[in-house]
Amino acid sequence: MKKIFYTVLFFLTAVSFNFCKIDNYDEPQETLKGRVVDVVTGDLVLTDQGSEGTRIRLRELSWTETEVSDNFDFNCMKEGIFQNTKLFKGHYNVRIDGAFIPLLRKTIAGDTIADETKYIDIKGITEVEFEVQPFLKLEWIGAPTVSGGQITATVTVTRAVSPADFKAKVEPMGGYNDDMLNVTDVRLFVSQVPFVGYREWDNRYTTQISYSGNSFDALLGVPITITTTGVIPAGRTVFIRAAARINYATENIKRHNYNEAIRVDIP
Amino acid sequence: MKLKHFIFAILAFSGAVISCKDYLNIPPMNVVQDKDLYSDVAGMTVYLSRMYSQMPFEDFKYSPNRQFFDDWLVTPGCNDGASLGRDAGTAMTSEGSARNGAYWGRAFNLLRDANRMLETLPTYKSNFSPADYNHFIGEGYFARAMVFYALAKRYGGVPLVTSVLKYPENPAAELEIPRSTEEETWNQVLADFDLAIANLSTSSPKRGYANKFVAYGFKSEAMLFAGSVAKYNKITGLGQKTNVRVIGFDPNTAAAASKKYFQEAYNAAREVMKSGKYSLYKKKWAANDKASQYQNMVDMFFDASSPENIYIKEYKYPDLTHGYDAYNIPRQLMGGNGYSAGNCPTLDFVELFDGIAKNADGTIKVFDANGKYLLFDNVTDIFANAEPRLRAYVILPGDVFKGEVIEIRRGIFTGIATNGIDPLRVVNSGTPDYSVSGPSNYNQVDAYKALGAFAGQKSLFLSQNGSTHETVNLPNGITMNAGGKNGPFTSDGTCAMTGFTVRKWLNPNMPQTLVLEARSEQPFILMRYAEILLNAAEAASELTLAGDAAPGGDNYQQIAYDAIKEIRERAGADPLVSVSDLTGQDGLEIIRKERKKELAFENKTLWDIRRWRTQHSEMLNGYTQSDGAYYKGLYPFYSSTTGKYFFDAGLDEGRRRFRLTEQEYYLLIPDGEVSKSPVIDQQPGR
Repeated sequence: MKKIFYTVLFFLTAVSFNFCKIDNYDEPQETLKGRVVDVVTGDLVLTDQGSEGTRIRLRELSWTETEVSDNFDFNCMKEGIFQNTKLFKGHYNVRIDGAFIPLLRKTIAGDTIADETKYIDIKGITEVEFEVQPFLKLEWIGAPTVSGGQITATVTVTRAVSPADFKAKVEPMGGYNDDMLNVTDVRLFVSQVPFVGYREWDNRYTTQISYSGNSFDALLGVPITITTTGVIPAGRTVFIRAAARINYATENIKRHNYNEAIRVDIP
Repeated sequence: MKLKHFIFAILAFSGAVISCKDYLNIPPMNVVQDKDLYSDVAGMTVYLSRMYSQMPFEDFKYSPNRQFFDDWLVTPGCNDGASLGRDAGTAMTSEGSARNGAYWGRAFNLLRDANRMLETLPTYKSNFSPADYNHFIGEGYFARAMVFYALAKRYGGVPLVTSVLKYPENPAAELEIPRSTEEETWNQVLADFDLAIANLSTSSPKRGYANKFVAYGFKSEAMLFAGSVAKYNKITGLGQKTNVRVIGFDPNTAAAASKKYFQEAYNAAREVMKSGKYSLYKKKWAANDKASQYQNMVDMFFDASSPENIYIKEYKYPDLTHGYDAYNIPRQLMGGNGYSAGNCPTLDFVELFDGIAKNADGTIKVFDANGKYLLFDNVTDIFANAEPRLRAYVILPGDVFKGEVIEIRRGIFTGIATNGIDPLRVVNSGTPDYSVSGPSNYNQVDAYKALGAFAGQKSLFLSQNGSTHETVNLPNGITMNAGGKNGPFTSDGTCAMTGFTVRKWLNPNMPQTLVLEARSEQPFILMRYAEILLNAAEAASELTLAGDAAPGGDNYQQIAYDAIKEIRERAGADPLVSVSDLTGQDGLEIIRKERKKELAFENKTLWDIRRWRTQHSEMLNGYTQSDGAYYKGLYPFYSSTTGKYFFDAGLDEGRRRFRLTEQEYYLLIPDGEVSKSPVIDQQPGR
């Protein structure tokens, strides 16, 4: 009896393994590398790494099994570059959204005004460069100083796109208002890791300055000195980054423009 | 052997012949047929029972965390800032861990039942009296309106399924319905409520059924939501697949739509008011008598004959029960399942109320002019003159519940108090720090760790949890536990973690042995007259701001004033000075504040702050929820050398962080629904 049982078990096992065939699809191994640069200066457009930073959205157009292709999203690195090394070979639409003039612009009725997204074949290592018009540009002035556990840094905020250009591109999308151009806040983010930004900040030390209406216009290009709050204990290493945003949301998120993160050692 | 084959052949053949007979072509006996269900009122009762069991009522079986039809850990208020809970506790950013699935999927079941009834019942019209027939048709529209309303406030525009989709008669691809615009969806909600109102009886033919005024009530609530979204929402976009504005309003039509919805909200609320059928509950109320005003507001949630109740959801042990008492009971009276104090009101909520000494910025006064703690002879003194409504909703330190004094004490301070007591939140001899960078709990402060000013002299004693206490020998020889019976404790969340514990809805007569899960049976009031007054006031205020003239000889400002006055009077709150208090934006803020106070812990406030679009932007203790914000607690301490009490007000010790991005006002459509359908759009931008 036992022998029969084991025989049956053996055959069942053999049969069940027979169904396990190697997947007929090659593993995704194509690479997409990209850069997001300011169309005027050619500088990389720095960003936060989280969902409030620059988002890359891929849609595989060569995939026809489903009627409408799914979105495949990932986020840009803080330096303004992105990379994905596990993509299927195919024809894609690559769209990015961030703190810059939207590449895909539609009217209220949904008609496309401009489509500056890219339609590319991804195969091997495919490189792509997006030239965008960021809203703001932030720059450090001098090196930050530390006193009593507080960091003081100076930044300038300038417009990277002229109000006229902004209006020309955004107004046809409907609901335009000059208030959209106003800078609403400037922040000095502090974090203990270099990936400092809107999704990675220590709220004990980070400072935020808010501006109402167009009150910031007078400060455009003027050095702004910001000091962190609280007391950072001596001996710590922190990373700081300044950010500012205008009162305009791309893909329903008001995103910040950034300068580069710098390391500060608290003596 | 041969005979056997022959018999089998005959049997097989005879089977084939019999199966052709018509008299065997009968409907399955185990499935109830339309003709039976739609035969009489009793049959319709069965149909309606099934519909009502699926209604999206936000009652004792609803929490933002687990959504509908789930009575586990129901602690209303924990996601809107009115309270904190250890199990439920931050902003609602998604449908949480809904064990029954996202409401998106479940909504369509009830929608189908309602549509089926609306399509089939006319065939059997002759079986019913005209009154019954109209009422049932009204019930169909009411259910549909409630479903579309529940969907619209979560997702914006949804597929407007208004007929029974027939499958497999039609191929599935032809039955795909894309999401409509948000505006069309709200218009559908409006149209369905109007048809419900037109058809429903003026009073419910059976307990638990809707009626005309129930529909008016929910219509005013829904239209207030629609009007607010049209006015305040900033999140919009077109669906990627359909190019339809599935969330938000077209900027060109938003203002007109907002006004239309506010008018509908106002008129619906006024219909209820003019009917004269309902009034505020004031059976025990007496002017200038705080004790009876308090008792009145406790009783109103349990009196089945309350004239304030417009619509209640009833429960009955053992058939249909919930566990509100078990999850929300003060720690000291904990029941056998080991749950307690899941719902601890925040100091931010308590500070909304009158009768409390406050600083210029509206925060509670706990320090004297020299920055030393105010000392109180009794723990109850700080709230001695508090608004009766606050006491009816919240158990304050030292209040009595079920005949017991509810002991809430964070710890005992044994330091010298001859020159007053300095603020406790000091670390390493620094300055007192009540910001987020300060000490997050009292285990970290100098007085507890015997550092700084307290070097070598431990002066603060705490209880880490409910079973092991640090103790202090008082001058009178008595040994006292550091923490009260309800805490707050350092590392045990079953306590009054904010210094308060909820009283609203708790059954004051339930024996402790019955405080168990699935044992409570008090009804939930889904719609009461106070909300109607608040709806009318808010809509009136919004319409005045929109420059609208009141209909039918009404005066918007007077209506709003009378409504707020009536509610404040019943609550024992400070009265408004004059009609002009409710002018403009400031007046609207007063109405909103009254609403937050009156309707707290009723699953209304979260939707209010969401429709006002203030949840992400309101400044809370220095932060907004879009950056991540915290709420406060009030921690009572006993000073052993003086025999007096003092209170430390500050950020919640658990530092529960509420974070909501603006996009999250619209919940995500379940991914599976989006990827399997060629027409269902995800929320634009996400």
